[in-house]
Amino acid sequence: MPDSPLLPSDAHASSAHSAHTSSPQSTHAHGAHPPTRRALRVGVAGPVGTGKSSILATLCGQLADSLAMAVVTNDIYTDEDARFLRSAGVLPTDRIHAVETGACPHTAIRDDISANLDAVEDLEAAHGPLDVVLVESGGDNLTATFSPALVDAQIFCLDVAGGGDVARKGGPGIRGADLLVVNKTDLAPYVGVDVTRMVADARGARDERPVLALSKNDPDSVAELADWLRDTLARHRAGTLVPRDPGPMAPHSHPHPRP
Amino acid sequence: MTGELATLLLCDGRLPVGAYTYSAGLEPAVAAGLTRDQVPGLLRARLRTVSVTEAAAAVLALRAGLRDPVDHAPVQAALAARTPTAPLREASAALGRGVHRLARRLAADHPAVAALEHAAVPGTAPARPLRPIVTGALAAALGVGEAALARTVLYDDLQTVTSAALKLLPGDPLDAVAWILACEPQLEAAVAESRAVTSADSLPARSAPLTEQWALEHPHNERRLFLA
Repeated sequence: MPDSPLLPSDAHASSAHSAHTSSPQSTHAHGAHPPTRRALRVGVAGPVGTGKSSILATLCGQLADSLAMAVVTNDIYTDEDARFLRSAGVLPTDRIHAVETGACPHTAIRDDISANLDAVEDLEAAHGPLDVVLVESGGDNLTATFSPALVDAQIFCLDVAGGGDVARKGGPGIRGADLLVVNKTDLAPYVGVDVTRMVADARGARDERPVLALSKNDPDSVAELADWLRDTLARHRAGTLVPRDPGPMAPHSHPHPRP
Repeated sequence: MTGELATLLLCDGRLPVGAYTYSAGLEPAVAAGLTRDQVPGLLRARLRTVSVTEAAAAVLALRAGLRDPVDHAPVQAALAARTPTAPLREASAALGRGVHRLARRLAADHPAVAALEHAAVPGTAPARPLRPIVTGALAAALGVGEAALARTVLYDDLQTVTSAALKLLPGDPLDAVAWILACEPQLEAAVAESRAVTSADSLPARSAPLTEQWALEHPHNERRLFLA
């Protein structure tokens, strides 16, 4: 695998591509979790219409041949996203569960994760052992992120059609998600957005955390997305992936007068 | 442990047990044509039928949870028999699963909570304890009294309907509070009736046929927000 800007520096110690068959490594960094065989749980959050379902379909299309995968969707109306994914034909339909969110998609992924935990546990019981369970948030605002008690890693998804300035607005998902996707880059010329500038804005908000400019019509970007998931799975298997809460709202940056 | 703080926790809508996924029958009722002015009538109807049955089952589970050995199976079987519609049994089991997860976290070793693993009757659906059984077991572990438990179960049902009404039949949120308070006489009567039940055999068994019919239609509604 070529060096990828998406992968953290510690990722190169293990081969991400051999994750499916390798046994968990017993040596890992100080403070790391013990190796686990529970499925890696990855959340995908972001505003409505930015392409979360499409990212799930892309990941399943790329990886379902080599990994045992399942999907949980959270939508306003029960199974809108689940139907999209079932019709995409990327997974057997019984590996796609939809949860009712009582019109509270942000609650279902953060404040009260009961329904999603039930769905993940049911999928693992019915189809396990699984390698990866993807949990798609209902489309929500920029503050909606996953509880680290529900997912091990999370992707936050923006798109160029939502406006080039969104990445500058910050918020916990943009700032702290494990991967920030700027989606639909192929549409940039039609909506007057400078993708390079938008990605630079996003990187500026995220310290060293990775940003991926993605288009499902750009095979290189799709390969990078798949590599990120393989690498994240390898770190999960090795016990070096520590679920992190993206945190509260970004602190504002203007100086405060000193008392 | 006096159980007073635990009582407040059990009836707080912020308790993370997945209850926001449930409309206590309101969404199926609205789909069948129920209007906003009929919500208070629905609240009273539920108190007299499904809610008092659930509250009484919770009280029986609380008592069972304080005996040695603990056996939740008779109450589970009696309540399942009084919940003739499969989607409502499944919803109750799904909601109970959230409370069960909480009970395991808070008091896994308490005999009332440990016995929940054997509450479901083998070979019958649902394979998990119904919510009132789990709530009663948790109440036993946390020292919640019978009257407080019954009132919590009844209040939760009312609050579930009215908070779902804010999404399904929007109006002044203060109205919803007034609707609940106006139910106090019926609610207290149901508390007394729940405490007077002495065995699983004498659990109330009042039919609410429209609630059952609407619940059967709900899984076919592709635009639903709520579990049931």
